[in-house]
Amino acid sequence: MELKLAQLTKTFGDMTAVDAVSYTMRNGVYGLLGVNGAGKTTLMRMICTLMKPTDGVITWNGRDIWSLDGEYRRVLGYLPQEFGFYPDFSAEEYLLYIASIKGLRPAVAKQRVNELLHTVGMEQVRKKKMKKFSGGMKRRIGIAQAMLNDPQILILDEPTAGLDPNERIRFRNLISELSEQRLVLLSTHIVSDVEYIANDILLMKEGRIACSGAPQQLIADMPIHVWRCTVTKQEEAAYTRQYKIANMKLTVGGTELRILSEQQPCAQAVQEAATLEDVFLYHFGETGGENNAVL
Amino acid sequence: MLFYEVKKIFSRVVNKVVLVLLAIVLLFASVMAIRENENYWVNETGESEYGIHAVRKLAKAQHEWAGTLTEQCIAEVIQENARIRNTPEAQSEDIQQQNIAYSWRQGIEGIRDVINSSFCAFQEYDYYKADTLTAADAADFYSNRTAHLEEWLSNEENTDRYSDAEKQFLLEQYQKMEIPLKYDFVRNWDSFFQWSVTIQMFLAMLLGFLVSGIFSGEAQTKADAVFYAAQYGRSKGVRAKVLAGFCIVTVLYWVVFLLYTLFVLGCTGFIGADCMIQIMHWKSFYNITIGQEYLLLAVGGYIGCLFLSALTMLVSAKTNSTVLAVLVPFVAIFIPNFIYNQSTSLLADKIVGLLPDQLLQLNSVLCRFSLYSIGGTVVGSISILFVLYTVLTLVLQPVLYTVFRKKEVR
Repeated sequence: MELKLAQLTKTFGDMTAVDAVSYTMRNGVYGLLGVNGAGKTTLMRMICTLMKPTDGVITWNGRDIWSLDGEYRRVLGYLPQEFGFYPDFSAEEYLLYIASIKGLRPAVAKQRVNELLHTVGMEQVRKKKMKKFSGGMKRRIGIAQAMLNDPQILILDEPTAGLDPNERIRFRNLISELSEQRLVLLSTHIVSDVEYIANDILLMKEGRIACSGAPQQLIADMPIHVWRCTVTKQEEAAYTRQYKIANMKLTVGGTELRILSEQQPCAQAVQEAATLEDVFLYHFGETGGENNAVL
Repeated sequence: MLFYEVKKIFSRVVNKVVLVLLAIVLLFASVMAIRENENYWVNETGESEYGIHAVRKLAKAQHEWAGTLTEQCIAEVIQENARIRNTPEAQSEDIQQQNIAYSWRQGIEGIRDVINSSFCAFQEYDYYKADTLTAADAADFYSNRTAHLEEWLSNEENTDRYSDAEKQFLLEQYQKMEIPLKYDFVRNWDSFFQWSVTIQMFLAMLLGFLVSGIFSGEAQTKADAVFYAAQYGRSKGVRAKVLAGFCIVTVLYWVVFLLYTLFVLGCTGFIGADCMIQIMHWKSFYNITIGQEYLLLAVGGYIGCLFLSALTMLVSAKTNSTVLAVLVPFVAIFIPNFIYNQSTSLLADKIVGLLPDQLLQLNSVLCRFSLYSIGGTVVGSISILFVLYTVLTLVLQPVLYTVFRKKEVR
């Protein structure tokens, strides 16, 4: 079981959304991390055959996914970033419909829908129209539809976007449960979504895979160190300009900073263990504004 | 899949409103066809009666004159008309008395109408023409038809309008009409056909509205990503959508049209179906019976609705815009009518005569001299309309399928 991207490129006019990406995925959870506009969604849409690449190929077990057509999509489950549904359908009707276009026989579909409604905790509202659902409920139906065909490849595009912290934790646990014996590619710009469940992390920047590997490997490979120090209010601005700051906390003695730097930034700075967030900041720090906040 | 595609359409409130609107149009057109201006009965006291019982009385009175319109029959009607016209009641200045006289004439009123058409010049109609005739004129009843056509074709305005082959075709068609014509009460059919245009035009627009969101709805609700990522999202799923459009148009069209038939003809009667359409459309060159006209209208309207719906779905699939798609049937129905009324150009008339809206008003097309020469053979527009739009509708199905299955989600 191998999903291989080879020199995958997608351009829209002058803009290159995905730039010669090559990567091979097998069983396990892959976290695709990147700021908004990094090309994550475009990459995932190509993997889901929603978009044709401008150049390069995607193969599944050695065969081009576009020539495999329905045979490839039979093993695919996809939850898009903007999960669209039919507002006047109930959760059950929606899932039964998706089951039918996924080729499940009616009897099998009914059983599978029951199982998944139970798994995502939506049994009680199965007859309720989807337009009345909260964001979290819709997302849970979204993951249920992606799982209907028990896919070997599960693509989840920003599955936790718009969810409150509780929902996000529930969702993370759910994905973790579902990730057994399949390839899960999960995109997010929130580090904590993938930090504990992903076997491999792909950091995507400006359409390219900036670096990839196991979380611990990425942390170990980061060429700079993490420091903690407390500075005065007056010094704070100068440090912010000079270094990438992973965290700022006001304390009685001043402002406690978490700094990414090759050298010790000041004499009292103490070196700390790096986290995946620090890796993210290291790669995306310059563009990591409010919209790309790291949790 | 098909079940859910249909369910998607009818689960939308706006589409439920369309169904209610369709039911209202059906009832309105049925009532209007039954209560058509001419469907009244004047009783022996000179009072007018309306409604189903009035139509039935009229049908009974005119059915008594059913049979073949021989020279003798025409002469009898002219004589009977003259007899009634000379009664004191008919001569009276009092409207009530005149109405009483009219009540005696109702049985021959249908044949009297045909006589008026026969003896009036080609583009005229004089209701009192029959009053000026004598029994001896009956001999000219059928020959008038061809003579008036020849006279009309030789007019200056028609010399360029029709080629010699087309003129010859029209004359041959006129001569092919079997005489004597069979006559029966046909006002039931006349009213039915007049209001069927309303029914069919509303059907085309409302069915277009129903199917307009089948394809664009996926993109608008952003459900297209999940749809296309499914195993059959680019094959059976698309076919189910095309089929859903076809099924909705087919089922609703025939249910509404057959209910309209049942309501109107159930009340006014089915008699007269075996008469030639010339009893109603004296100048028509199509030699078919009224029953055949019914089938022609029913099937023609169906092809028209199918074609316009397929076109609507194509625009919907191509543009992802339900609003644009909804406009298709409106534009296809109203713009040609506008052009037809404004146009003085022969070429424009020829083009407009082949637009799909013509299939929704075949009752009028049957009365027009819309001719086309194809490879030296002259044919009426109806034959072309049927073949052209059947083929185009069939061609649109795979086009629709291909356009939607190849779409990308951005």
